[in-house]
Parts: sequence; structure tokens; C-alpha cells
Amino acid sequence: MHRRTLVKILPFAALAIAVPGNATVYLTVEQAQSVMFPHQRLTPVFRELQAAEIEAIKKASGTAPLSKQLQAWRAQDGGWFILDRVVGKHEFITYAVAITPQGTVRDVEILDYRETYGGEVRNPNWRQQFVGKRFGAPLQIDKDIKNISGATLSSRHVTDGVRRLLATYQLVLARA
Amino acid sequence: MIFRAGAIAASILLLALATPVRADEQYFGYTYSAEVLPKGQTETELWATDRQGKATGHYDAQDYRLELEHGFTNRFTASAYVNFDSHHIRGVEGLDNTERNLAFQGLSAEFKYNLLSPFKDGFGLTLYAEPGWSRIHSVEGEKGTEYELELKAIAQKNFLDDRLIWAANLTLEPEWERGSAQGPIDGAVDRIWAKELKLEASSGLSYRFAPGWYAGIEGRYASVYPDWTHGLHRETYAVFAGPSVHYGSGKWWFTATYLPQLFGSPSPGRSLALDEYEKRELRLKIGYNF
Repeated sequence: MHRRTLVKILPFAALAIAVPGNATVYLTVEQAQSVMFPHQRLTPVFRELQAAEIEAIKKASGTAPLSKQLQAWRAQDGGWFILDRVVGKHEFITYAVAITPQGTVRDVEILDYRETYGGEVRNPNWRQQFVGKRFGAPLQIDKDIKNISGATLSSRHVTDGVRRLLATYQLVLARA
Repeated sequence: MIFRAGAIAASILLLALATPVRADEQYFGYTYSAEVLPKGQTETELWATDRQGKATGHYDAQDYRLELEHGFTNRFTASAYVNFDSHHIRGVEGLDNTERNLAFQGLSAEFKYNLLSPFKDGFGLTLYAEPGWSRIHSVEGEKGTEYELELKAIAQKNFLDDRLIWAANLTLEPEWERGSAQGPIDGAVDRIWAKELKLEASSGLSYRFAPGWYAGIEGRYASVYPDWTHGLHRETYAVFAGPSVHYGSGKWWFTATYLPQLFGSPSPGRSLALDEYEKRELRLKIGYNF
């Protein structure tokens, strides 16, 4: 490529690179745990998912875990706090799902959302749709979970993530 | 002078940075993806395309495009473009020598309607229309009035949890170029409109290899059918392919694509189509949303 061509184009690239990105941490893990399991002691149960477990989760939920590392905490009442992340528009979205001892969703919290747009997935009314869902529920956009127009990617990936974590609970944690 | 043009455009974009923005980015330099701006969002884009090389002499041209786009609904967006050109042509057979650093080239508008979402419906489909007016011929650099209507079907399919993106476009672009002809008997000069149809197909595949970063390849087939209302006869065609890189941060994005011409309907003594097209193109797009 000609040096002259690069000279013409590079100022635009330099301008673009000079602009900072956007990152927002709404809740730390400890804060999310105290919100979702107030006054309860949580015990970490970290483990690496086996290949057969990953395959089973993928088969049951339709999506494969992004990481082999399962970050889960067991609550005093027998519930579970699971920390996870899904693909966002540009960055990962970090979220947590609280599961009751009976295996239903107690709460969903967005801990870290780095996109400027699509943050409606943090809306309590939208997250409330997950409460009470259990393994086997459709958990699909435009079926039992409303889409967020203009933030379709984020809302779909968080929905897929919750469905996958319920499968993880059912197939891995509930049997522990 | 080219630097000055870039500085002016960059300054305009810097003004856009004063407010938080969100990207509705294009992953490829030439192939559109099916995503559209959400309702109420406004975006500005700057395009810079560098075109180099003819069969003979020296040819380099730059196209600059400044766009303002707005999402009127979650499916429909409209935008307006202001276009500028630079031409440096010396000793190219069939073209007059031209030295023009930066000139107002024309205006165009763009309308996009999204039928299917690649995130929700499993397959993205968007229809696109771009009427335009230009006062400088983009290849020859000569002044002359031209009207065009670019019609595009945009398809997109995402794989691997939306980290692998495939997009394809089919484009029909009729053009009307104003000229004059002298009557054979009375010598009177009549205004005529030369008609031309451009048919293009392009496709790209890009993978998100790190948060915000995509790398991929893109290919483009372009062809010209003159006087198409009296039967379709392809005059020339060219095939381009090359690498593409994209970065988006949520607030802004850029895409760079390098497309050398691989082959085409030959100019005399060559296997490339160099009358209508150039040996290589480099395009950079930068986008910001308000």
C-alpha cells in the first residue's frame, strides 16, 4: 500500500482511536449478593465444567457456556447465586442470577454493562419477567420474554444466558 | 489540500463527540449490514475512499462523504449525505488531465427499512434506497450532471452467538447522465440523457476476535450495463476482494477495508477492468451517534 495513501487515511484512524470507550459497573459481586440474598452467608462453589456437562447444558438450553469456569455461591437457605457473562454489542455483559432452593429464578441483576445504548436490560420491569421461571420454561424473546426494541441483541443474549444458567443449575448444581 | 479536507471533516466529527453516542456500525467498508438505528438515535458518519491506478499514467482519486442519519422508528432510518471528490489524473489514456484537490461532488439521501432482525429473527433483511445527484463524474473527474438511484437488498446472518457476521448485498443502480448531441442536419444542439445501469453484488464475513474488534474479508462484484432500457448488455465488470477490520466501542466505530481489483473484463493488454474501475481501493468509515 502506498505511503501516500496511508498518510491520507491515518488521521481519520488516529482521531477514532483517540476517543475513549464507555464502561459502567453498576454492582460489584458483593453488592449483587447482598441485594439478591440479603443477610445470608454465601459459600463459593467454584468448579470447572466437564466436557459432558457443557454438552448437556448446550443441548438443554440451546447455548453453550462462554467459559468452563462455573462461578456459583450457595446461600444459607439452599439457593444459588451464579455469576456469568454474555456477549454484548461490543463488550461482555456481566450479570448474576439468583435461584431459589426450589429451582426458580429469584432475581436477575446486571452488574456490568459497557454499552452506551441498550442499557434497558437493567430496567427492573424487564428483569422482573424472569422471576419465577424454572428450567424448562421457553425463556425466549417474543415468547415469554418481551423484546426491547432497539436493544434486541442485549435482551436476547441476557435471556439466553438466564436459560443457560437454569440448565446449569438443573444439570450440575442441583445434583451436587 | 487533502490533509485540509481531512482536517475539516475531522473537526466536524470532533464536534459530534461532545455528547454521548451509540454506534450502529457497519462491519464492512462496502457491504452494508442489516442493522438499523433505533428510534430516536442520530448518527453521523464520515467516509473516505482512496482509489488508485489506471492502465496508464497517474490516477488517484479520493471520495469523501459526510452523512447524518436518524432512526425514525426501530425499523426505518433516513439520512442525508454531502459528497466531495479529489482527482489527480495525468497521462491516463482516454481521460483528460485533472488536478482538483477537493470539490463539492453532490448530494444524496438514504432510506433503510428493516424487515427482519438478525438478532431476533435468525436472519436479517433490510431494503435500501439512495437517490443522488452529482456534479462531478467520480471516475473521470469531469464536471457533468448525473442522477442516480441506488436500490439495495441487504441480508445478514449471524453465527457463534453473534460473533461471526455474514452480510450480502445485491445492488441495482440506474444512472442518468446529462449530455448534448448535435443534430446531423440542422446542427442544433439537443440535450440528451445517457442511461446506465450498475449491477453489484458484495459480501463479507467478519469475526469478533476481541471485545469490540472484528476482522474479516470482503468481496465485491461490480458491472455496468449502458443504455439498459434498450436491452441488457454488460459493458464491463470487475471483481474486488480484500481484508476488512472493524472496531466499535459503543460510542463510536470505525471500519477500514482494502479492496484490490482481482480481475475484470480486460482493458487492452490487461486482465483488469480499468476504464470504469481502479486497481485498488481503500475505504475508511468512522461513525458517531448522538
